[in-house]
Amino acid sequence: MDRNDSFREFVAAHQQALMRTAYLLTGDAHQAEDLLQSALLKVFGRWFRLSRVEYPEAYARKVLLNQYISWRRRRVRAELPTADPPDRLYSSEDSTIVRLVMRRALMRLPPRQRAVIVLRYYEDRTERETAELLNCSVGTVKSQAHYALARLRELAPELAPKLSDLEAEEARR
Amino acid sequence: MTWLRDVLVDLADDSPQVDLAERTIAAHHRRRRTVVSLLAAGMVVVVALGATAAVRLLPDRRQEAASTGDLPARGVGPLSHAYKTFCEPARGEAPKGCRDGGWRVVTRSGETYHVPDALRSLAPGRTGLRDSPLAISRDGRKIAYYSADEGTFQVRDLASGRKTTAAQKVPKSLLGSVSRLMLSDDGRFVAFSKVPDFKDPALLIDMRGGAVRELPNRWVPIGLSPDGATITLAEYSPRSRLRTISNLWPSSSKGDTTSVILPVDYHFSPLAPDGRTVAVIENLSTAERPCRRGDLALMDTLTGEKRKPTVISGLPADVSQISLRTWLSAEEVTALTMSVRCRPASDVPDDEPAVIDQPYRTMTAYAVNVRTGKARKLATYRAQGFFEIVLPGPPGAL
Repeated sequence: MDRNDSFREFVAAHQQALMRTAYLLTGDAHQAEDLLQSALLKVFGRWFRLSRVEYPEAYARKVLLNQYISWRRRRVRAELPTADPPDRLYSSEDSTIVRLVMRRALMRLPPRQRAVIVLRYYEDRTERETAELLNCSVGTVKSQAHYALARLRELAPELAPKLSDLEAEEARR
Repeated sequence: MTWLRDVLVDLADDSPQVDLAERTIAAHHRRRRTVVSLLAAGMVVVVALGATAAVRLLPDRRQEAASTGDLPARGVGPLSHAYKTFCEPARGEAPKGCRDGGWRVVTRSGETYHVPDALRSLAPGRTGLRDSPLAISRDGRKIAYYSADEGTFQVRDLASGRKTTAAQKVPKSLLGSVSRLMLSDDGRFVAFSKVPDFKDPALLIDMRGGAVRELPNRWVPIGLSPDGATITLAEYSPRSRLRTISNLWPSSSKGDTTSVILPVDYHFSPLAPDGRTVAVIENLSTAERPCRRGDLALMDTLTGEKRKPTVISGLPADVSQISLRTWLSAEEVTALTMSVRCRPASDVPDDEPAVIDQPYRTMTAYAVNVRTGKARKLATYRAQGFFEIVLPGPPGAL
């Protein structure tokens, strides 16, 4: 299997998982595609080395996150969502509304906080794994997760009890 | 934790389903080409001169010897193989009359034909890359391919020219970037599978009865029982697995599935004539020691139990890659080999340019006795890679 074939195989096996993460980070299908494409270009540039390491997807994920954070630093002003939160009370059991509210709230988090939420609560990674992926300390992950959840509670007050429960549960772990 | 994860999973379900592999490779190439265009112009002259000399020295050019026309309407003899052509190889020359992304079939007597009915893997302007698979029945007398005109799979009897078209259309967009096609011995069943595995299923199509059975995607079909009721599938990435689904018809039933997860990475042959065994070679490659492989062994597809490995003897020492293909008898399996230089990862510069169209390489097929390991040479072919050459019978899985 040559370099292109093994890269195709790699992309076929992992792109959907990476795309899901990219989508949660960017909140937009086109930006997610751009972000993942950009990360995969970097991966392909080093593919001769990476294709023979045990977990090339770990490298790809790290590139994706770094790329996202550096993009967001440059684009943060342009990307801030402008829509208002729902103007009526909603039930935290209404999954469609919850999804919309969470999406909007996530988009308002600073990039590193959003990345921490995605890695810790979507990918279910440990604090140490999250720290390694984001090139920061475990302490930073803890504090970023705390600030992120606090900010989400402000942005989505109807979901605040559930988010508080989450943090309490986290503290017990 | 569960609540937030559920919400995030729900959100992630809206993520786009796109295949970025080809786009990434092409973008890398374009970027590189922009930077090195002037250098490349000079290199082309040097490479072309070298390639011309090299092609003249090739020992076996049988598959290009005859002029290549379109596949005649009828009266074509059994095939020895088929190969896909991309026309701008990084080194060397493309075959004369090359059609970008098109299939050529080669008969046992050496005639070569284009297959114009088969969808090309590239649209004019080298755009729209997608895989367009082709399969040859074990006796070489029938082919299956994706018909560009019909928008689905078609089986063609080469002697009579009779075409049978699947009742169900399959959108081109579902062909994926690496697809596999298997044609049953009697030409009645066509199995199609591909990666990436989006929500669309793989298919087992009854060309005669018109029924379609959905199969799990990503799995390579490596064998089908004569009555079409039991299929054997192999998965080689990210880890090796085997799956046997029996009682496939009626298509509404789930079938009876047996799956085996294997502890190491294997290359698989197609299913052996006994309907239960495959030949396997363990992939032992590492970053610094690429192209390493284990010995040949037989494996029970239902239990994953591996019998005592056999050392393959009689291959040239420089053979670096092996793809297991058609079974020639209950004792012999085809080993398609390439002798390419395998470089340790540390020898490869990070900025080495990507190769879009692979050079045409010489591949040699051997019949390997699975009991003794002894190999005897069968034939030599030219193709751009293992994915670009099809031999009669079901595909193996690299």
